[in-house]
Amino acid sequence: MDEAFIPFSAMLAKIAAFEGEIYDEESGVHSYINRFEIDTPVEINIVRDENGKILLGVIPPLYRVDTTFEPSYHAIRFSADISES
Amino acid sequence: MENTAWNLEDFVDSLVVELDKTRETLSIKAINKPLTYTVKDMAMDLNIFPTFDGDQIKFITAQPGQQGASKVTIQLGSITDQQVRATSKTLQKDDVSISEIEVDKDTQKQLRKMGVNSFDDLEQIENKNVNIEKASGTKLNYNKLLNQLKKVKRNNNPPVVKSVSLSLEEDKTPYLSVKGNNLGVNKLFRPVAVLNESLAEVTGHNSNEIKIRLTNQNNISANNELVLTLDPYAIVKLNVKV
Repeated sequence: MDEAFIPFSAMLAKIAAFEGEIYDEESGVHSYINRFEIDTPVEINIVRDENGKILLGVIPPLYRVDTTFEPSYHAIRFSADISES
Repeated sequence: MENTAWNLEDFVDSLVVELDKTRETLSIKAINKPLTYTVKDMAMDLNIFPTFDGDQIKFITAQPGQQGASKVTIQLGSITDQQVRATSKTLQKDDVSISEIEVDKDTQKQLRKMGVNSFDDLEQIENKNVNIEKASGTKLNYNKLLNQLKKVKRNNNPPVVKSVSLSLEEDKTPYLSVKGNNLGVNKLFRPVAVLNESLAEVTGHNSNEIKIRLTNQNNISANNELVLTLDPYAIVKLNVKV
């Protein structure tokens, strides 16, 4: 896989790794984000390893500059719910 | 590094593995962090170019600067274990998978295209009098395939002889009673018994017992050789001492 890309699972885990608690110290109120949805353009790199298994590399758009050849942007949408635990 | 061509099955397999990894990572994190999230639904829009090599449809993701790509949307939802059980056909305990027999890859592929993955699937087609060769438009040795599957199925349930005894019928005719498990399992086939190289009449048969009528032609002695053909896939040879 190209070094600029990360495994698909790693990207999803990184996106879902934020603290969803909002605390208002003055009023002492805790608020929680119980669900979020993300829709993002991504660049995708699909290669096969030596065993023929498909490796799926993903990265959000790398560069914000106009180039002669524009990257092909694919899209990922996913939703995540707060865990019961 | 250039993208490589992939088929949908491999791609979805890889995607599912990646999603499982994400869920595992997040569930481990949930042990220490009270607030974590579980990925529920996921969709991908891919810009791809499909190709057909005469056998398989493959896709290659668009490279920078490539215009005119098709868009494929893959959407993965989440369902419960119970829903999976309710909507999937699992291999029954005594069924035989096509992958357990020696068939060439082309035949396996043809069968899979027709939704045939096991002996039961093939038997259902047979019961509906469908000519699988004509229906698929391919040369498929259907009978050979069915025989191979029946053989494997029989091997998975081999006959077991537990006892052989000599008894008398009500009309005082002597008979041999062979008892055990998985003996006369094929209802369409009457077992054939050869005792001391002479054919003997099988008067009764079921899964647990075979009854063989004895006559003078069987030359019963101290040591007797009994060859019992239970069905085309199971032959039992016994040395019966009287």
